[in-house]
Amino acid sequence: MAEQEFAYFLGCIMNNRYPGIEKSTRILFDKLGIRLKDMEGASCCPAPGVFGSFDRTTWASIAARNITIAEDQGNDIMTECNGCFGSLFEANHMLKENEEMKEKINKVLAEVDREFKGEINVRHFAEILYHDVGLEKLSEAMVKPLNLNVAVHYGCHFLKPSDEIDLDNPHKPTILDELVELTGAKSIDYKDKMMCCGAGGGLRSRDLDVTADFTREKLTNMREAGADAIVNVCPFCHLQFDVGQVETNDKFGTDFDIPVFHLAQLYGLAMGLSKDDITVDAHQISTDPALAKLDVITGGE
Amino acid sequence: MLSGGNKSENQKKTEEQPQPDPEMKTEEQETKPTETPKDVSEKPAETAPEKETETKAVTPDEKTKEAKKTEKPVEKTTESKEEKSKEEKPQTKRSDSMTLLEGREEDTITRDNIDVNFKQEVMDAGADTLALCFQCGTCTGACPSGRRTPYRIRQIVRKSLMGFKDDVISDDALWMCTTCYECQERCPRGIKIVDIVKIVRNYAAQAGYMAQSHKAVGSFVLKTGHAVPINPATQDLRKQVGLDELPPTTHSFPGALEEVQKITKATGFDNLIGYNWEKGELE
Repeated sequence: MAEQEFAYFLGCIMNNRYPGIEKSTRILFDKLGIRLKDMEGASCCPAPGVFGSFDRTTWASIAARNITIAEDQGNDIMTECNGCFGSLFEANHMLKENEEMKEKINKVLAEVDREFKGEINVRHFAEILYHDVGLEKLSEAMVKPLNLNVAVHYGCHFLKPSDEIDLDNPHKPTILDELVELTGAKSIDYKDKMMCCGAGGGLRSRDLDVTADFTREKLTNMREAGADAIVNVCPFCHLQFDVGQVETNDKFGTDFDIPVFHLAQLYGLAMGLSKDDITVDAHQISTDPALAKLDVITGGE
Repeated sequence: MLSGGNKSENQKKTEEQPQPDPEMKTEEQETKPTETPKDVSEKPAETAPEKETETKAVTPDEKTKEAKKTEKPVEKTTESKEEKSKEEKPQTKRSDSMTLLEGREEDTITRDNIDVNFKQEVMDAGADTLALCFQCGTCTGACPSGRRTPYRIRQIVRKSLMGFKDDVISDDALWMCTTCYECQERCPRGIKIVDIVKIVRNYAAQAGYMAQSHKAVGSFVLKTGHAVPINPATQDLRKQVGLDELPPTTHSFPGALEEVQKITKATGFDNLIGYNWEKGELE
C-alpha cells in the first residue's frame, strides 16, 4: 500500500498558541506511517463565524486560496481544528457545487495567480484516524493506558451541518468517544454534552461575558459528572476551556480547575510523551491533577 | 383550516391594489398564512396589525358592558348605586384612551419599515431556503444563546423574510449567535439558518454595525495572515519541542502574506474594516 499523505493545515491557534498539539500530531502520524506535508504560506482558514459574518466573499476567497495550496500539492487537507475544518470544508463544498460562486471567487484569486479547481477533499484529523487508520491500528501506537474519566467535547463544526459533513449523528455521536476510549480513558456522560463552548461566531471577541456564561454551564455539567479532564478536537474550544476557564472563574467567582487536552495531546500521553513535549505545562489550567492520576497506576515516571 | 377566512380576504386585498409590484405580491401570498397566530411577543407584520389591535382593545370592554347590563337589574338598589359609580369611573377612563395607536405612530410598523428587496437579496446571497420558514420556533427552542441573551433566531428569520432590514441589522442581538448549528440541525423545514445569520450579518457589517473588536480581528489577518498571530512565548514553546520557531505559514512566507493582502484589497475587506495600509492599523 502506498504511503498515505495529507496536506497539513495548521490554522492559527494550534501552531500559534498550543504547539504541543502540533508536535504530538507529527509524532503520531510518523508512527502511523502517514506523511504530513506542510502547506507553505497557508494563512488563517479564515474563521468561519467571524469572517463569514463580515464578508462572505472575502471569507470564501481566503479559504479558497488555502485550498489551492493543497491542490497544487495534490493532497487532501487534514486539519485538527473544528473552525478550520468548518471553514475549509464549507468553502470547498460550496465552490464545488456552486458554479456561479466559483467563478466569482476565481476572479478574486486571479489577482494572485491562483485558481480553485475543486480537486481535493477537506478532512478532519479525528475522522481520518477513525476511518482511514482504524481503532485497532491506532491502539497499537498507544503504550500507556490512561485511567481518566474524560468529558468529551465535540464542538460544533466537526459534525455540523450534518447534511453536508455527514460523519456521525450530530445529536448522539460516538466517533470521539470511541477514539478517546481506546486509550483506556472512560468517556463519561454529562448534561448537554453537545452544547457549544461559547467561543464561536465572533462571540468571544465581541462579548466575553456571554461566552463565559456558555463555558460556565458546560464546566458545571462536566464537573457534576466527575470529569478528570476535558478532551476536545478543536484548538479554539481548547483555548476557550483553558483560558476561558480562568476568565469564567474571574467573572463568576467559581473555582473550576478541569484540565484540558486536545485529542492529539491525549494520544501524546498515551504514547508516553512527557508533559512538556505536548506543552500542557504551558496551559493556564494546570493539567497536573490529571497527570498525577495517571502516575498512580503506572507508578510514576 | 386555520387561514381559511383570512386568506380569501388577503387575496382580495392583493387584487384590489393598483398594479402591485410583482415582488410584493409573492411576498404577501407566501407570508400571509403565518400571520394568523397572533403572537403578541412578535412584532405584528404588514397590513393586519391596526385592525387586529382595535378588535382586541374593543372586545374586553364590550364584554364588561354586557355583563353589567345583565347584572344590574338583579342587584339591590342601594348597593347598586355605589357599585355603579365605582364601575363607571374606570370605564370612562378606558374609553377615553380607547385609540391605543394614538401617539404611538413611531411604534407602528408600516410599509416604510419594509425593504421589499431584502428577502430576495438574502436568498440570492446563499440562503435560498429562507422563504420556507413557517415560524414553528424549534430553532429558538434549540438555541443555547437564546437561553441567556435577547437573541431570538426565529425573529431574525421572520424579520429577514418580511424585509425588516434596518430593524434586524441594527440589533446587537444578531451578534450573539455562536454558529453552533443546533437550530439548523433541528429545523423541520431544512432551512440553512446559520447561513441566514451570517448573510444578514454581512449586511449589518456593510451598514457599519461592526464591533471594533471584530475589526481588530480582521486587521490581524491583514497584518499577519493569522487571526491569532504568533507571540514570543509560543515561539519559545515551539523551539522547546523542536518545531520551527515560526510555523510554515504566512508567518514564514512574506510573499504568501502579500497574496492574502491583495485578496482583501480586491474584495474591499480593507475598506469594510477601515484599515489604513500606510499606518498598518485601523482608522
